[in-house]
Amino acid sequence: MTSVWIMLVKKSRAILGFAAISIVAASCGTNAPQDTWQPKGPNSKIIDDLQRPVFAVAGIIGLIVAVAVIYTLIKYRDRGQPIPEQTHGKPALEITLTIIPALILAVVAVFTFGAIFKLAKTDDTEMIINVTGQQWWWEYDYPTQNEFGITQPIISSGQLVMPVGTKVLLRETSRDVIHSYWIPALNGKRDAVPGRVQTLRLEADAPGIYAGQCTEFCGLSHANMRMEAVALSKADFAKWVANQQAAYVAPAKDSLAQQGEEVFLNQCVRCHQVNGLMRADGTPAIAAPDENVWSGSAPNLTHLMSRNTFAGASFDLLSKQCRDEVWNAPSDVVGTKYLAGVTEECLNQKDLRSWLRNAPAMLPMYANATQLKATGGKYRGMPYLALTEDDISKLVAYLLTLK
Amino acid sequence: MAIIERETEVTATGIDIATPTTTYGVLKRPVAATGWRAWVFTVDHKKLGLMYGATAMFFFIVGGVEALLIRLQLAAPNGKVLNADLYNQMFTMHATTMVFLFVMPMAAGFANYFIPLQIGARDVAFPRINALGFWLLLFGGIFINLSWFLGGAADGGWFMYAPNSGPVFSPTHGIDFWAFGLQIAGVASLTGSINLIVTVLNMRAPGMTLMKMPIFTWMMTVVQFLLLFAVPVITVALFLLSFQRNFGARFFDVAAGADPLLWQHLFWIFGHPEVYILVLPSFGIVSEVLPVFSRKPLFGYPFVVFSGAAIGFVGWGVWAHHMFASGLGPVSVAVFSLTTMAIAVPTGVKIINWTLTMWGGKLVFSTAMKFSIGLIVLFTVGGLSGVTHSVAPSDTQQTDTYYIVAHFHYVLFGGAVLGIFSGFYYWWPKMFGKMLSERLGNWNFWLMVIGMNLTFGPMHILGLQGQPRRMYQWTEARAGEGLFNFAFWNLVASIGSFVLAVGILLFLINVVITARNPTKSPLDPWNSRSLEWMTSNPPKEHNFDVIPTVHHLDEFFHRKYEEDPATHTMRQIATAEEVLAEQERNADKHIHMPSPSYWPIVLAGAVPIITFGMIFSHLIAVVGGVILLFASFGWALEPSTAPESDFENQAAHGTALDKVGH
Amino acid sequence: MTDAAVHGHESSTGISNIKLGMWTFLGSECLLFGGLISTYMLYRGRVTGGPRPAQIFDIPFTSVSSFVLLMSSLTMVLAVSAAHKSEDKKTNLWLTVTALLGATFVGGQVYEFTAFYNEGLGFSTSLFGSSFYTLTGFHGVHVTVGIIMLMALVGIFKRSEVPGKKAEVVEMIGLYWHFVDIVWIIIFTLVYLIPV
Repeated sequence: MTSVWIMLVKKSRAILGFAAISIVAASCGTNAPQDTWQPKGPNSKIIDDLQRPVFAVAGIIGLIVAVAVIYTLIKYRDRGQPIPEQTHGKPALEITLTIIPALILAVVAVFTFGAIFKLAKTDDTEMIINVTGQQWWWEYDYPTQNEFGITQPIISSGQLVMPVGTKVLLRETSRDVIHSYWIPALNGKRDAVPGRVQTLRLEADAPGIYAGQCTEFCGLSHANMRMEAVALSKADFAKWVANQQAAYVAPAKDSLAQQGEEVFLNQCVRCHQVNGLMRADGTPAIAAPDENVWSGSAPNLTHLMSRNTFAGASFDLLSKQCRDEVWNAPSDVVGTKYLAGVTEECLNQKDLRSWLRNAPAMLPMYANATQLKATGGKYRGMPYLALTEDDISKLVAYLLTLK
Repeated sequence: MAIIERETEVTATGIDIATPTTTYGVLKRPVAATGWRAWVFTVDHKKLGLMYGATAMFFFIVGGVEALLIRLQLAAPNGKVLNADLYNQMFTMHATTMVFLFVMPMAAGFANYFIPLQIGARDVAFPRINALGFWLLLFGGIFINLSWFLGGAADGGWFMYAPNSGPVFSPTHGIDFWAFGLQIAGVASLTGSINLIVTVLNMRAPGMTLMKMPIFTWMMTVVQFLLLFAVPVITVALFLLSFQRNFGARFFDVAAGADPLLWQHLFWIFGHPEVYILVLPSFGIVSEVLPVFSRKPLFGYPFVVFSGAAIGFVGWGVWAHHMFASGLGPVSVAVFSLTTMAIAVPTGVKIINWTLTMWGGKLVFSTAMKFSIGLIVLFTVGGLSGVTHSVAPSDTQQTDTYYIVAHFHYVLFGGAVLGIFSGFYYWWPKMFGKMLSERLGNWNFWLMVIGMNLTFGPMHILGLQGQPRRMYQWTEARAGEGLFNFAFWNLVASIGSFVLAVGILLFLINVVITARNPTKSPLDPWNSRSLEWMTSNPPKEHNFDVIPTVHHLDEFFHRKYEEDPATHTMRQIATAEEVLAEQERNADKHIHMPSPSYWPIVLAGAVPIITFGMIFSHLIAVVGGVILLFASFGWALEPSTAPESDFENQAAHGTALDKVGH
Repeated sequence: MTDAAVHGHESSTGISNIKLGMWTFLGSECLLFGGLISTYMLYRGRVTGGPRPAQIFDIPFTSVSSFVLLMSSLTMVLAVSAAHKSEDKKTNLWLTVTALLGATFVGGQVYEFTAFYNEGLGFSTSLFGSSFYTLTGFHGVHVTVGIIMLMALVGIFKRSEVPGKKAEVVEMIGLYWHFVDIVWIIIFTLVYLIPV
């Protein structure tokens, strides 16, 4: 029997040590991009201020229980003492021990209520961005807001670009299943539910890129449905807005890019819109994703190269080295680096080319014609297009012009 | 109508006993046979309890293998063991299997076996319905798993949120199998709950008032009431889902104006009471084991009873805490935040009472006791992480991350599973007349506890570091820097899962070794306290030679010991053997047990045929329907007993259970 | 058969097992219909181009069939009373009448479904259609199961004794029948009488 309690004691030390290491390791050191304990804006700070004491109290109570149990095990182990008196309990003691946790929880509840209502406020909104989820990417749609220079709606995807120190309100919905929008550094999650519009407050204290991930299981490629929020200084944000609203620049005559534009018009424009793109006959090329894609939407590729990601945010448009340069840039230069966009040298040729070569091989999607009975032949994701290597080179050259 | 009299001389007043002279049914009522028939046609609550247990153990292994595959996939970034589709099926079926096909049936098995014994009854109220429930559960479980071989299993997660579960988003038949299979298992839970509620309310031994009932029976009764009211809610939800997928209903079709949150509300109104359905049976087991090995009554028995009932009630008012990120609006969130905190109080009461039960005791660290102590500590961890979720804003960071996975595994593995294993070691001699090896049990316990902490402990950290759940791969880009990043903790968790698996394997080895070991267990190996020990190991088919009259909570203990008025210590006045001999001297002369029946298995067998037909061909469903109707009439018209000439006096021979352990 | 016979003592509550079992089951049924009614109430106004409730409901017709179902509760009471007095012939008569009234109600429901379908309300037409047919259909199935139980009871009584106290069995099925009737009163009020 003694060996048992010695083992228990040893084990308890191991548990405590393990817990201590864990807390240290979790709270600092790793800098995981989606760490929930590193708030970078006032909303996530509200949550953090609430959860730290709650975790601490929970930890202390856990420790008290563990110590009490272990102490009891050691003190009252069978050492040949007689069978004890058959007492059935002490009501006064139990009522006390019931009231104490109830009081602790009552205090926690008061602070919780405060935080819930603070995080639900919408009347102090300074900027609105519509966010629409679909399998497996997010569309960002900036309605006209003259105070930010947004004189015509901007439609983007993959990266949410927002000004710092501005109370942004996301209005979320979905075109197919439920998704959930989550940038841990800026706020908790809010589900994007089809048929509903729900709001989430976001505000970043400093320029930077903040990682996130869809957190409501949304089917095959749920794991690949990432997002990034890019906070820019107000001046940089104005530059970004101006670039997004800039007119289409057709590729130079007889260039590879111009041939790429033709491929794009033949293939890609069925689903992907590029604002300002004209057909050979002078009519505007209007994409019709609703005829081909079940959700009725495909990423708008106007100014694609101003984003660092493609296929929503499933893949990097920047090569690893260039991407790290932007992500790790100090907050005073991150805006400049980001606004430089994707240059030919920095382009992640490998991933982009294999995506164009055979998208379903890179990302699990319902893009196989034999599986599309349920949707009446419409894709969920991007299909295999049977492009030649030549076509791919032309397309890449063309896409690089979409600054 | 299910318990059948053979003789009429010993009957209660006011009850007319029919003596059938003709056989109404197509088939004669079977007699208690030997061999496989003795199991397939049995209506004996103990055999059914063992069959529940064996079925649950089988599905535990299935679910465990699924878990190991998941951990293999996630051990390193960009795992290639499973593809996205298979991974989604795997985590869906892991949860479904563990919840519906392992923990619930295992609890049903314990309840079936021990409730009648603990309340001094000879069987349950409706033995044939009891058998029907078991067969429905088994067939439902097989039905769900058939989908693996017929185009792929369900891939929508066990929570099966609409509209992702709709025909457009999950075009295979996996979810059809899942929905119908759970429906079948749900009927089993419902019939089981009605049966056990009536048994507990109506069939207690004389003198056993509700507040003298053993605590396990109490907790199981709360569970049955939870099932009674929770199962119909999931039944509705599953019908809506099946009608949409198979008959073109629009319930979750957003284009028709449907609200996807309807599913979430229905699912979690069922789903949260379900959590207590899973864990309260183990609370009951632990509350039996701790007093026995502390040699002291359960501290604050009424508090434990009422806190169990309180959990049962408040459990209905917390469901939306699963939906804090769904967009309920701040008022609802605040209310459900508060109720969730409130339910922590009765749960805390239990922890305190268990600890105080040991305080001042004479603690014997048997394997059963170790598992129970393990539950106290590890469930507390899960309970406290649960409290952090009740803080709704904090939960919006943690929900759908691995922190939640850690939380509910501490609750369900640290709570439900450790309790079940405690029950195995404690009641094994009762069920099989042999004791599991304590030496192997010690290894079993430590490997399981260490394995589970290695597996689920790091998941707290992974969740707080921002790793979401239900992702078939994680990438280095989001893994963080340094040694203690995603890579480290995921690897630790995966290694831990195999340690855990070895621990469980040791249990299975222990079972085999024990079965081969001819040594019989003593009559009362643990110096136990409640009525189930006041009979032979394993019990005879009729449980008790004479129905005991109950004077105390812990009746059996008080027949063995009495208090020394001077010192208040306990002194032994009788051994277990003496108590039992006294019972045998007063044995009832005429004991009447129900005859076996063909109809439960036939009736249960018709149901999966119908559901199979719903999915593939309505013609098959019609065939199933005909069998169902036929079996129903066979059931209703079944002669109330086997012909006299076929009857074998079972009471004299013991039961086939005697042969199990050999 | 009750446990009392097995144990040689009365049931702890004094209520027979089958009756207590039926009460327990009906408790569960409340939640089943609660879920279905909630679904209908949420969706009854969502017609997506199909007919609206007010356009197709024929209140006088449904009132008559509701009345028929209510009357069947009365005849059920008479059957239980006869069974308690061990008046076998009367019991069988009232059970048969109850089953016939129930069948009339179900027939009315079949007619009503056909009429609604012809007026353009299919199961897949709208959320209103799906939830209306599901709710009333579930109730109709409950009535049908009740009819089968009543007829089976009459059949068994005619052939011979049933195991257990006859009145107890009639009363148990009576509980079920009354419950199904009460549910219909709720459905009739919420679905037909309260405008969207």
